[in-house]
Amino acid sequence: MREQLEQLRHEALKTVSDASSEETLQEARIRFLGRKGELTALMKGLGGLSADERPVVGQLVNSIRDEIENLFETALSAERERATVSRLQSERIDITLPGRRALRGSKHPITQVIAEVSEIFAGFGFSVAEGPEIEHDWYNFEALNFPPEHPARDMQDTFFTENSLLLRTHTSPVQIRTMLKTKPPLRIIAPGTVYRCDSDATHSPMFHQIEGLMIDKDVSFADLKGILTIFTNQLFGQKTGVRLRPSFFPFTEPSAEVDIACVICGGKGCRVCKQTGWLEILGAGMVDPEVYHHVNYDAEDISGFAFGMGIERIAMLKYGIRDMRLLFENDVRFLRQF
Amino acid sequence: MKVTYNWLKEFVDFDQSPEQLADLLTMLGLEVEGMENYGAGMDQVVVAVVEEKRQHPNADKLSVCRVNNGREIVDVVCGAQNFKAGDIVALAQIGAVLPGDFKIKRSKIRGEESCGMLCSEKELGLAEESAGIMILPPTLVPGTPVFESLGLKDTFFEIGLTPNRADCLSVIGVAREIAAKIGTSVKCNRIAVPEHGPSINSSITVSVEDSELCPRYAARAVHGCRIAPSPEWLVNRLAAVGVRSINNVVDVTNLVMMELGQPLHAFDCDQLVDSRIVVRRALEGEIFTTLDSQQRVLVASDLVICDAGGPVALAGIMGGENSEINDSTTSILLESAWFKPAAIRTTSKRLGLHTESSHRFERGTDIDGVIRALDRAAALVAELAGGTVAQGFIDVYPVKSVPPAISFRPERANALLGIKLSSKVMIDILRGLECSVTEMTDGILMVTPPSYRIDIEREIDLVEEIARLNGYDNIPASMPIARVISDRPSLHQRLESMLRNILVAHGMNEIINFSFTTPDAADKLLMSDVDPRRSVIKLANPLVEEQSVMRTSLIPGLLEAVAKNISHRSLDLRLFEMRRVYINRQNEEMPHEPIYLVGAFTGAREREGWGNSRDSIDFYDAKGVVENLLEELHISNVKWVVDTPETFYHPGKSCSIMVGKERLGTIGEIHPTVQKNFGLEKPVFCFELYFEKLVVLHRLKAAIVVPSRFPDSTRDLAMLASDCLSAEKILETVKGIKAQEIEHAEIFDVYKGAGIPTGFKSIAIRIRYRSYDRTLTDDEINIIHSRITENLVSKLKVSIR
Repeated sequence: MREQLEQLRHEALKTVSDASSEETLQEARIRFLGRKGELTALMKGLGGLSADERPVVGQLVNSIRDEIENLFETALSAERERATVSRLQSERIDITLPGRRALRGSKHPITQVIAEVSEIFAGFGFSVAEGPEIEHDWYNFEALNFPPEHPARDMQDTFFTENSLLLRTHTSPVQIRTMLKTKPPLRIIAPGTVYRCDSDATHSPMFHQIEGLMIDKDVSFADLKGILTIFTNQLFGQKTGVRLRPSFFPFTEPSAEVDIACVICGGKGCRVCKQTGWLEILGAGMVDPEVYHHVNYDAEDISGFAFGMGIERIAMLKYGIRDMRLLFENDVRFLRQF
Repeated sequence: MKVTYNWLKEFVDFDQSPEQLADLLTMLGLEVEGMENYGAGMDQVVVAVVEEKRQHPNADKLSVCRVNNGREIVDVVCGAQNFKAGDIVALAQIGAVLPGDFKIKRSKIRGEESCGMLCSEKELGLAEESAGIMILPPTLVPGTPVFESLGLKDTFFEIGLTPNRADCLSVIGVAREIAAKIGTSVKCNRIAVPEHGPSINSSITVSVEDSELCPRYAARAVHGCRIAPSPEWLVNRLAAVGVRSINNVVDVTNLVMMELGQPLHAFDCDQLVDSRIVVRRALEGEIFTTLDSQQRVLVASDLVICDAGGPVALAGIMGGENSEINDSTTSILLESAWFKPAAIRTTSKRLGLHTESSHRFERGTDIDGVIRALDRAAALVAELAGGTVAQGFIDVYPVKSVPPAISFRPERANALLGIKLSSKVMIDILRGLECSVTEMTDGILMVTPPSYRIDIEREIDLVEEIARLNGYDNIPASMPIARVISDRPSLHQRLESMLRNILVAHGMNEIINFSFTTPDAADKLLMSDVDPRRSVIKLANPLVEEQSVMRTSLIPGLLEAVAKNISHRSLDLRLFEMRRVYINRQNEEMPHEPIYLVGAFTGAREREGWGNSRDSIDFYDAKGVVENLLEELHISNVKWVVDTPETFYHPGKSCSIMVGKERLGTIGEIHPTVQKNFGLEKPVFCFELYFEKLVVLHRLKAAIVVPSRFPDSTRDLAMLASDCLSAEKILETVKGIKAQEIEHAEIFDVYKGAGIPTGFKSIAIRIRYRSYDRTLTDDEINIIHSRITENLVSKLKVSIR
């Protein structure tokens, strides 16, 4: 009986090491360990042993059964593991095929730049104000100290409507409308659409501006310089050089053009900055006392500054757009890049 | 405004290089927009002597010259005939590059070696036409560059002048700025006028009838002149600032205008009827021919210079043909005057006649500079045209102009600029600008600007001068103290941004069209004759007809954008635009500018891809976007009302979007005729929403619904229904049961075609049942479900399949 058991153990070892699949292992396991299996059959012979031998052989049977069981268990789990690995291998897909993409929409770059500039100024405490695009001469020109028959009006080629209104040439009338409604202190920006009769690669008959206005006690030109320096640094990068140089706008005095170091060449001089190293991005100045006069503010009591910038200009610099007309062609091949 | 480096040097001494000068001017507010180094590339064109000239052996019209260039003698073949041995000429040596990118190379011409070229003025860019080569003065040293030895090497500056700086429309004006900045003064020598013979009063009388428009009128007469071409230096100088040479007298008036900023006019004295000048307003309808041969019809606000017979010049703008200087002119009357800027501008604008003269007068000239310019011109005419200047001059100047005395507070200037300059520094700056300054006891300064600075009238104007001359770079950057907190963006602003985000999330691209459109836009949309959107706001001065009216609808621009993209083979499009339209209002001057939101869909539903369907997008895709949008705005109880809302939609595939009696907008497929009008081949689905209505109806989310913790159970129901039965009716009937257990009901299939009788459709709905407080039993569900089924059958006459 001991020999038989020993032989069974050998057979089981051999069978397991020869088995090539989970199926054959399961079959062999039943053959050895099943209720009608070989070990069970051998155990029936235990009854014929002497009382002395019975416990000893019984123990041997148990240990061999445990051994064979372990053997099958290990082999089976190894085989399952191998089978899983092999199945997963066979399920490989081509992950380089493009993803199934939903359509991606886009906001117009003009909308995006307006949002970006507005957000920066919101951080400086500026609220957003709006006004009509079809305006009175008074708001667009006269209240801003462009007297009738003044050559300064030539600076802005104006579209007139047949009922003698005009298409605002700048967002500055919003300054006037705001000041007439509100008493100082105030800080506003006014993004909007403006119009001038001019059309070429750098001029569009319709374009966009953002106007800014701050009025309070003791606001100085140095404050204007501070705000605009921080603004340009936030918009174009921390180290962007800023230069203010004297200019003229009827509604500000002193007036300034604000240049930034050319973002294309870094100030060395290139085609975009016309070799000057500087790019003009906005006009600004201290609000002219004549403007306060028109809105019934006391110029002795308060002071303030105003500024205005062209959104298209900023968009063109930010995205390297050379022809302004591209912004209004509504070509999705262009729009989808934003 | 153009000036040159050399010309400026005649008026002020400075050490700055052309580049440094450009920077200095720009930082003073005279922006240098362009610079040209004239003659910079011409150093290889040198002065040379023709040692010997002989006939070319193989060509009749050519000569071979031995030319001394100061270092060696070279052979040059030349085709010109106008020179001889011993002449001094301009030799373009090998390597020289002449205007027009013409490179001089060693060459053989008909067998003879030629080491360069003898140049004409035209070839050097010095004249438009020239006969033969340029013969140089014998004093020039061979070997030196021609441009340098002729004093032609110069730097031209193009200054972008702001309209307030009338004083800088002259060389002396720019020189004054340089002088003020570097702390020196301009050279302003006394002008000696060589007067001879009888007094001017014996040959001419002047009367000014309108001294409001002409506060000062001065004149001098020069007799015995000979009109001739101007000398080289004068032609070149004028050319440098963009003025074409006419003759010696006219050129003098132009030169003095460029130099001193005072426009002058020269009349042929002998053509003035009765030798009289009368300055008066024109008669209404008076006809006058200006020297550009144009007939001008004048009005009573125009100022004219007349003789006894009628107008001889349009004051300050242009002279007349009748008194123009011509080749036989011998007596000249020089006019130097000051005209009221607004009057000149009104006439110049009305006639569309803009001249160098009107440009200066309308900006304001120097009333105290009138005589200086007159003297300078008279002296130059005498010198160049060989006449004699009559004794004395006429100066009708009844009320002497007095520049304002401005009280100026240095501490106010410091406060406004955010700087701390001493009173003394400010006084120095103002005196450097030729202001007269008196210090008062209380620290206030009384400042009188020079007569040419008509832009300085108020304290703030002086503050600007301090900032400018002290340098904007020397103003620190500081941060203002905040006494205001910014408002939150308005509901209107937030919704605008939210709507854009929703549409972008639905794969839509935002477009921006011009606000002006073509007058036939309404026709293309088939709008009826009484449609209020036909009452457009028209532009009085459009650039082109296609941009001549303000748009009342965003649809045409949207469809044009669709068509344009399709022409670029971008076929699958989802575009939107959210902008203003411009609506005329009865009894109100200002139009209404409401914001509309429009969208267009065409092409395939999904983007092109290996696993994507190529199904066409349809009405329900567009509707789905609008449904999501309205849901995000928490606008509920929306009705889709079939009422043929717009002529530009397909009548069977469009509807109004209503909440109660308010129409929020419309949606539909574009009418086939409209589609054709815009050159579109495939169907386009559009929506139009009225932003203001969305603002009004928009609700904040009030409360959420807590999801049930119990399991759901679904039942499907397929029915055969009449084709005219709307889906809305079916869903309303289902929900009409008002059982809380109905969580959701949805149409999941609609089918027409094979197996379904004509006039009918098969509709399948799925109903999901769920309770908040228990798991529903099959029996409970069956009871509700059969009630639904019975209702559908009895109320809608459907048959269950």
